[in-house]
Amino acid sequence: MASSYPPPFEGTGEVKEGFICPLCHKDLQSFYQLQDHYEEEHSGDDRHVRGQLKSLVQKAKKAKDKLLKRDGDDRADTGSYESFYYGGVDPYMWEPQELGATRNHQDYFKKHRAARIDHYVIEVNKLLIRLEKLTSFDRTNSDVAKIRAIEKSVVPWVSDSDVPFCPDCGNKFNIRNRRHHCRLCGSIMCRKCMDFVPLPLAYKLTSGTRESLCIPGSPGQSQAPPSGAGASGMGSRRGSLTSLSSVTSMLEEKDDEKIRCCHHCMDTLLKRQLKLEERDHMPDIVKLYERLRMCMDKVDEKAPEYIKVAESLNAGETTYNLDTAGGLRLEVTKYYELIDALSKRILTLGMKDDPAPTPKSLHLQKMIRYTATLFVQEKLLGLMSLPTKDKYEALKEKRKQEQEKKLQQERLAAQESMRKRQESEKNRSVATTNGVVPPALKPPRMTKAGGWLPSADSKKTHSELKDPLLQQIDNIQSFLRQAREAQRTDEVAMLEENLRQLQDEYDQQQTSLAIALSQKLAQEENLQQGEIQRLEARERSEWEQRAPAADSRQPSSIWECSLDLGEPVAGYVEEDKTGEVTPKFERSPLSLRAFPALAGQEESPPRLRSLGGHVTPPSSEGPNSSSLNPFEEEDSTPTEEDPSNPFFEDIQEEHKEVSNGKKEYNPFDDEEDNGGQEEPAVTSLGNPFEEESSETSNPFTEASGDSPGVSTNPFEGDEDAGALADIDMIEEELLLQQIDNIRAYIFDAKINGRLDEVELLSANLRELQHTLQEQKKTH
Amino acid sequence: MNVTLAVKQYVTRMIEDSGPGMKVLLMDKDTTSIVSMVYTQSEILQKEVYLLERIDSQNRDNMKHLKAICYLRPTKENVESLIQELRRPKYSVYFIYFSNVISKSEIKALAEADEQEVVAEIQEFYGDFIAVNPHLFSLNLQGVARGRSWDPTMLSRSTQGLTSVLLALKKCPVIRYQLSSDMAKRLAESVKLIITKEYELFDFRKTEVPPLLLILDRSDDAITPLLNQWTYQAMVHELLGLNNNRIDLSRVPGISKDLREVVLSADNDDFYANNLYLNFGEIGTNIKNLMEDFQKKKPKGQQRLESISDMKAFVDSYPQFKKMSGAVSKHVTVVGELSRLVAERQLMEVSEVEQELACQNDHSSAQQKVRRLLRLPGVCELDAVRLVMLYALRYERHSNSVLPAMMEELAKRGVSEKYRKMVHSVVEYGGKRVRGSDLVTATDAVAITKQFLKGLKGVENVYTQHQPLLQDTLDQLVKGKLRDALFPYLGASSLRDRPQDVLVFVVGGATYEEALCVYNLNRSVPGVRIVLGGTAVHSTKSFLEEVTMTTGNISDRAGEGRNLSRR
Repeated sequence: MASSYPPPFEGTGEVKEGFICPLCHKDLQSFYQLQDHYEEEHSGDDRHVRGQLKSLVQKAKKAKDKLLKRDGDDRADTGSYESFYYGGVDPYMWEPQELGATRNHQDYFKKHRAARIDHYVIEVNKLLIRLEKLTSFDRTNSDVAKIRAIEKSVVPWVSDSDVPFCPDCGNKFNIRNRRHHCRLCGSIMCRKCMDFVPLPLAYKLTSGTRESLCIPGSPGQSQAPPSGAGASGMGSRRGSLTSLSSVTSMLEEKDDEKIRCCHHCMDTLLKRQLKLEERDHMPDIVKLYERLRMCMDKVDEKAPEYIKVAESLNAGETTYNLDTAGGLRLEVTKYYELIDALSKRILTLGMKDDPAPTPKSLHLQKMIRYTATLFVQEKLLGLMSLPTKDKYEALKEKRKQEQEKKLQQERLAAQESMRKRQESEKNRSVATTNGVVPPALKPPRMTKAGGWLPSADSKKTHSELKDPLLQQIDNIQSFLRQAREAQRTDEVAMLEENLRQLQDEYDQQQTSLAIALSQKLAQEENLQQGEIQRLEARERSEWEQRAPAADSRQPSSIWECSLDLGEPVAGYVEEDKTGEVTPKFERSPLSLRAFPALAGQEESPPRLRSLGGHVTPPSSEGPNSSSLNPFEEEDSTPTEEDPSNPFFEDIQEEHKEVSNGKKEYNPFDDEEDNGGQEEPAVTSLGNPFEEESSETSNPFTEASGDSPGVSTNPFEGDEDAGALADIDMIEEELLLQQIDNIRAYIFDAKINGRLDEVELLSANLRELQHTLQEQKKTH
Repeated sequence: MNVTLAVKQYVTRMIEDSGPGMKVLLMDKDTTSIVSMVYTQSEILQKEVYLLERIDSQNRDNMKHLKAICYLRPTKENVESLIQELRRPKYSVYFIYFSNVISKSEIKALAEADEQEVVAEIQEFYGDFIAVNPHLFSLNLQGVARGRSWDPTMLSRSTQGLTSVLLALKKCPVIRYQLSSDMAKRLAESVKLIITKEYELFDFRKTEVPPLLLILDRSDDAITPLLNQWTYQAMVHELLGLNNNRIDLSRVPGISKDLREVVLSADNDDFYANNLYLNFGEIGTNIKNLMEDFQKKKPKGQQRLESISDMKAFVDSYPQFKKMSGAVSKHVTVVGELSRLVAERQLMEVSEVEQELACQNDHSSAQQKVRRLLRLPGVCELDAVRLVMLYALRYERHSNSVLPAMMEELAKRGVSEKYRKMVHSVVEYGGKRVRGSDLVTATDAVAITKQFLKGLKGVENVYTQHQPLLQDTLDQLVKGKLRDALFPYLGASSLRDRPQDVLVFVVGGATYEEALCVYNLNRSVPGVRIVLGGTAVHSTKSFLEEVTMTTGNISDRAGEGRNLSRR
């Protein structure tokens, strides 16, 4: 795997060369050494290759894994056990497991249910139709006999003589225990077993069916009375009760405002009503919960994005903009606040209601809140802070210097290895006819565990590619090819996903790079323009004085180096030059390098150097600044690219220290002063950790009544959990909390010296305090 | 062949099938244990399951905004409860999963109860067993036998459990059983019957070498469950009692409130996962390392939090720190309690004699040592009895047996009648008369040589020299040398090659010592995957209960006759 491994694209034109193992980043002096190293060390662990792929897009995750793994290894060293396998299973020895057998009874179930439902639906509809008929005429103004006639026409009544006993309770019917007919099904029950459908309920039930059901020939089905009608006409017909139209009705009480029916029919109707009610009812908790989940999804989406950006920024890379990162951070924290607020609302939901929520729903609310707390804890802590502007500049500078050092080292190493290689080539050519044979002879690329290796052809291209991303893309493409050949569709999918992500990232880098470059060039151009004009004037005068010299060595001036691109030919093609330098944003360092060569200048190396120095740093230092000279610091060793490298942390740390010192604002210098400020920060930070660690590993207990969350519940200490009496209080609580939060953020921002953010937050705070005041007033 | 994963995947699938939204998980008593072994509360909360309810609990409220996932064993009571539930549904929609095969008629009854059309899924997910470790499962059944034959309900439950393991792992096995045990044979036949009946379910992709189900009987090796254990998991179970991965520490003197009951699950406790099978000495070292790690990470008061970066580092490591502190206090407590018990009960001495009884063949020295220990006041009742039991099993037919004298010693010590009776029960349960293979003394030349070589090499660790009989059986099995005469195949099919996927089921309960031996086999023999299961996972105490329940009935009935024959 002879792959050069250049540092991430910075536009500096630096190329990390040499023989770096793609897996462990170890610099091996020659191609053969690297190959041997690779075969020895990495032939078995293909999963690392896969991990490596992922690492490019999921640096944070990998860093974490690494940390954990290191922990494990440490212990393995000190402890005496040889295994880090999971409880009895070597996961690499036992193949991945598919879901066990299942059997679906859906069809059979549905078939039987359908039959049942059909029956049920017919029953219900029949009842509804009858009910509608019974309620569709004006009951209040008809006399009993007429009502009875209509009722009898709706459903045939069972004849009295057929039913000597009440079919439900078995009591004998006699003069005191009278027969009653259900108006909906016509059956006979005793008085105790009877039920009544109140008219309002009847109207409500039938209102839905009135449109959907079409009953031909039913009287008055089109002119349904409004739902209020039954109630309004209630009292008016009392008197008619006295008329004795039949023996059965004689002792019956007024039943004009309700319809007599048996409890079987009543049951069916009530069920139906319940269903109707539930259909359009959506409890508050569901609405809140849906919003909560939405926020969680957003966080899941945004947080990794932010972490990636923040890491890159903290490493001093120029891929992302600090401001957009700050925006992203604010956005993510907003979501956290929202989650916190929503879950708190859910927790206190219904506390103020008269019938207090049932214990189960309280438990549900608690559990939702608990889950949200867990979520915030887990995700919020992964959010690293951003460097301040100053710090960021410093970081960038530092990184650049390192890379130059590295570059230099690698160049040397490369030359060295080149020599060695040539030597060994000579030696080898005696033994083998072809020096390139060994890599070709390598055993099949697909190793037993099924990973892919970059194909041989990519090796050659690697050395030419400038960007690790490009190189990675190339690698993945070759993996893809191999995977396709091996027809491993799942891996192909994974690789394609990786490839897409990498390409996106590369595009992004390219754009930001181009922008940076163009700005730089624009500056340069301005500078040159001025200079050129000056020189032009001078030269013209010289021109006039002296005969033109073909080899124009310019006198050394401060500007010379930076301008020598233009200078030598300045006399002839001024316009041309500027034209050539400026418009090409994406001009690769190579072409810049090529330019002086074309010009045929002797002092091209220093010029190249100065150019390289000039293009990249945003610093206001003069282009001649010798600190950028890559040749000066040959003794330092190259560092690795991995941002999880402790080295980078060191840098960060250093810079933190530096900037802290610079700012003269050390929160711990004067303790009394900051005591107040510190507190909100501490509480807000400390809050999410109130979890009992034993809780997390506690499988639910068996007792159904005694829920596990209760005893070690994180909310028990929450003083506001039960205290809230009304919604205003909640709002106020939320406001206060928000204010606390913002204070904490301000503190945080101050510590990190992000003054712009402090301003923004202070404004926010004022606004909130204002709202709070108003709230209090209205209250 | 990972039983934990199999159950976990089932549960995960259930939860995922129901889509987003708030959920309640409705379970019965058994499935609650099953699920709690593979999912922690916080894990299940993250999957939007906020309530866990029992189907038979009466105080569940109407919560129409919840989706219900029902995971139930297909028992009559459960089906009845479910029918009632569907008639008056409390939740908006029901996803029903049965842990085993359910009859068509019951499905029909459920369908007819579902008038409100609330059932969205009805499936069978075969997680009908307790997954203790990835390679160890249990059915949590106590007292499966009545005399020498099955309790009928236990047989059907065991059959269900065993077939569900097969289905969850997608194995349609060739069955072998221990010839000397009638119960093993009955179970084998019963499993075979189910496989034949549900042939559609067992229609898995054929592997080159078919999987093997080996059914053994506990009574063939009554010694293993009687020994004190020195590996972490086994020791915890023996001394503190592991019940569905939980230990009750409430009897520990001076225990803090939140450590009354602790969970030991290899799934989310790295220290436990790594130390499960290590012996007590190694655990001592590791727990020391853990403490040191912890102290390194622990912020040392204010002095370390001087700068912002310190504070940040602390906050960043806080969850890990918090988790670690939980793990540290838990394991320190557990190990501390273990060592307290070891000292109090003089377990080192007891165990040494136990091991000598189990592994060596020197009657006079053994009986002297046992009698010496019996006179020691520190040795507790249970240990005294188990020494005598081991002696009785080991030198059952020895011409100079001093068992009666020992029994007298026990009586003198004031050991209860109940325990003294148990000595005879154990002999009856696992004595020579019952054993198919010879447990202690080697019979064939190879075994004798092996034993001789072992003697030459000396013993590495006095306390762990005993190897369970299962080790030997499985060793022969994976080498393809297990004798057909002792472990016949059920039916015509037999295995030509060495087996690859092996499921061992011990009627009457397995032990953690055997789990360790299976674990070691899995790691040392490439290409072989063994899963161990039992009607229970026994400690000495639970094993003695099992023995009492098994022999109890007989002794009552046939007590007279046996006593006569003894005399």
